[in-house]
Amino acid sequence: MKLKKFGAGVLAMAMAASMMVGCGETAPATTEAPAETPATEAPATTEATTEAAATEEAPAAEAKSIEATEITFWHAMNGNLETVLTQITDEFNANNEYGIKVTLVNQGAYGDLQTKLQASAAADALPDLAQAYNNWLTPYIDKVVKLDDFVATDFDNWDDIVSAYRDECSEFGFIHAVPYNKSTYVLFYNKTMFDELGIEVPQTWADVEAAAKTVMDSKNIAFIGYDDLAGAVEASLHQNGSDYVDATGALFNDEKGLETCEYLSNLYNNGYARLVGEDGYFSNVLSNQMIASYIGSSAGVSYIKAEGWDLGVAPIPGNVAKAANMAGTNIVMFSQDSNKQLAAWEYLKYITSTDAVVEWAVGTGYLPIRTSAYETDAYKAYMDENVCAKACYEQSKDFFFSPTFDASNDIRSTVPSTVEQLVYDKADAQKWLDTIVEAINAQY
Amino acid sequence: MDKKSAKGYLYLLPSMIIMICFTIYPLIRAIVMSFLGDYSIINGSYKSIGFDNYKALFADPDFAMSLKNTTIYVVCVVPVSIMLSLIIAVLINSCKKTKALFQTIYFLPYVTSVIAIGIVWRWMFNSNYGLINFMLGLIGIEPIQWLNLPQYAMPALIIFAIWKSMAFNILIFLAGLQTIPEDLYRAARIDSTPKFRVFTKITVPQLAPMIVYSSVIGMIGAFKVYNEVFSLFQGKAGPANKAMTIVYYIYDKFYNSYKYGVAAAGSVVLFIIILIFTRVQLRVTGGNKK
Repeated sequence: MKLKKFGAGVLAMAMAASMMVGCGETAPATTEAPAETPATEAPATTEATTEAAATEEAPAAEAKSIEATEITFWHAMNGNLETVLTQITDEFNANNEYGIKVTLVNQGAYGDLQTKLQASAAADALPDLAQAYNNWLTPYIDKVVKLDDFVATDFDNWDDIVSAYRDECSEFGFIHAVPYNKSTYVLFYNKTMFDELGIEVPQTWADVEAAAKTVMDSKNIAFIGYDDLAGAVEASLHQNGSDYVDATGALFNDEKGLETCEYLSNLYNNGYARLVGEDGYFSNVLSNQMIASYIGSSAGVSYIKAEGWDLGVAPIPGNVAKAANMAGTNIVMFSQDSNKQLAAWEYLKYITSTDAVVEWAVGTGYLPIRTSAYETDAYKAYMDENVCAKACYEQSKDFFFSPTFDASNDIRSTVPSTVEQLVYDKADAQKWLDTIVEAINAQY
Repeated sequence: MDKKSAKGYLYLLPSMIIMICFTIYPLIRAIVMSFLGDYSIINGSYKSIGFDNYKALFADPDFAMSLKNTTIYVVCVVPVSIMLSLIIAVLINSCKKTKALFQTIYFLPYVTSVIAIGIVWRWMFNSNYGLINFMLGLIGIEPIQWLNLPQYAMPALIIFAIWKSMAFNILIFLAGLQTIPEDLYRAARIDSTPKFRVFTKITVPQLAPMIVYSSVIGMIGAFKVYNEVFSLFQGKAGPANKAMTIVYYIYDKFYNSYKYGVAAAGSVVLFIIILIFTRVQLRVTGGNKK
């Protein structure tokens, strides 16, 4: 049903176009590739190479020959992140022996990229490579190329990849992605204020409560905030030894869940924690010294302006267990053509090699995806100077990721507004538990 | 079909093709989609045919809230904006020297991006540093947490939207004012009619077609409000989603929840609402007599 598909595509595009008018203006939503890509034109026409490669051999054969081709890579890296990505890609384009040319296409922010990918999936016009979160992929997971064979036959040590990332990239029962720009949630705090009030960096929930009381008594401001409320609920449950959700529903309607809700509701009801509200992100609030600390993505560190005070970064506090949210996207492959798949794989191998990973991590502040990258002198030197990188590394054994299933997107969007309402209502722990469980279970 | 009208249709053809591809066809598809349960836009599969999406839609408290919010929005924004615009247009028109200047100033919001305006208004609404709370402070009103508390989300949005929508109305009314014959005003002056009576008995009746036009266009636009919410609340639907509107709901269901059928059903409901309101409005104002 070609026509049907075309129709769906047009519809999606039209809806995207008509509804995104507003958003397009915020992000640098250029759909054009950066102009800097070197002029190594693909010599043969793609048509011809496609034909040849398709009949030639299976993707992961021993003796490989890749025809020169062009690969498009959709990403949402902006500012300095884009500069570093372009640099690494230029190196690949200039040095690879096959004449593969990777074209980077900036799609704006994550939300824009997600929308564009979805519309393109409907129109059957997906790029060769794209950054993506697992939960974006559920509607079109069958269009994602399975990478198991590539990894098994032609990858330098998959076991070197941090295990939590490997698990995340095989969540759908096969390897659907390679991890790339990974970050984690850490505790950012005002070190100057902590020192002044004699507060130690909190390790446990009890520490958080004690420190929050000190700050409230002397400064009358909140101690902690969470950029991601759904992530906060999920991490807190794990920290209390409880599960969050799975494909059947909420898993914490019990004593442990109630304890977790007690902790969170007490923080908010006592004014120890606050919502971000009009400030948008807690990096602004911390920068203005209107809060003592917050938990947010390590990738947001550059937005904190520590003027007149020192920034401290620490692993996030736990309770009976430690648990830290993972964030950041992975790279998925959509090419249906076997030559393009091989070419795209060459690129993925290159940018996930230890050297390129270190270059990326040091240049952007994202976390290395390889254990061996942590061992390099370059990254060790970087960690010595960078408190944020160090804190991330310290909690890397405690990483967990949010599971993806049919209702997971709805849960992610429902929980934050539910929690906000509970905070406004100054609800007690039991009300928190009942309301959140009910809101989650209503999504199935 | 004679030769002359054939030529006419030929000229219409390009825009007709575009209309059919990008308006009529998606419209029909959306209606079809709204009756398909668990529809997937990716491969066109569905699990059932019927009213499942509509049932889900009307069972969803978020949709009920978005309907309520949108109705409040339309009822507040459209009449207030038209009344204020009318007054401002008459004032601008009455002072010939500064007319061009003020015309430009009041039209600026129309040509400025909603997102940019949203950023400015976010600052004006800021609870600590905002201009609005500062002015309220001058007359002894405590600072209002405009963008932080759910109960102020809709009022903030409405104030923002009224200001935003005035630009277009003022332009229309200013154009309309030029067409009112000077004789009428001269006659009124001879009878030394009070200014207010001149306004209600000459200006308003003479501007009636423009007012009808503005209210119809304004109302359709107001039912489709999305950009204003997006820009004022930084991509969210306000604190605890309390400023959720119908289009925001549709967008969220389509792009974030992948509930394509429910999103389509929502858009059909919105379509019907707008259709009914426009019919009623035209009948009440007698705008469809011609």
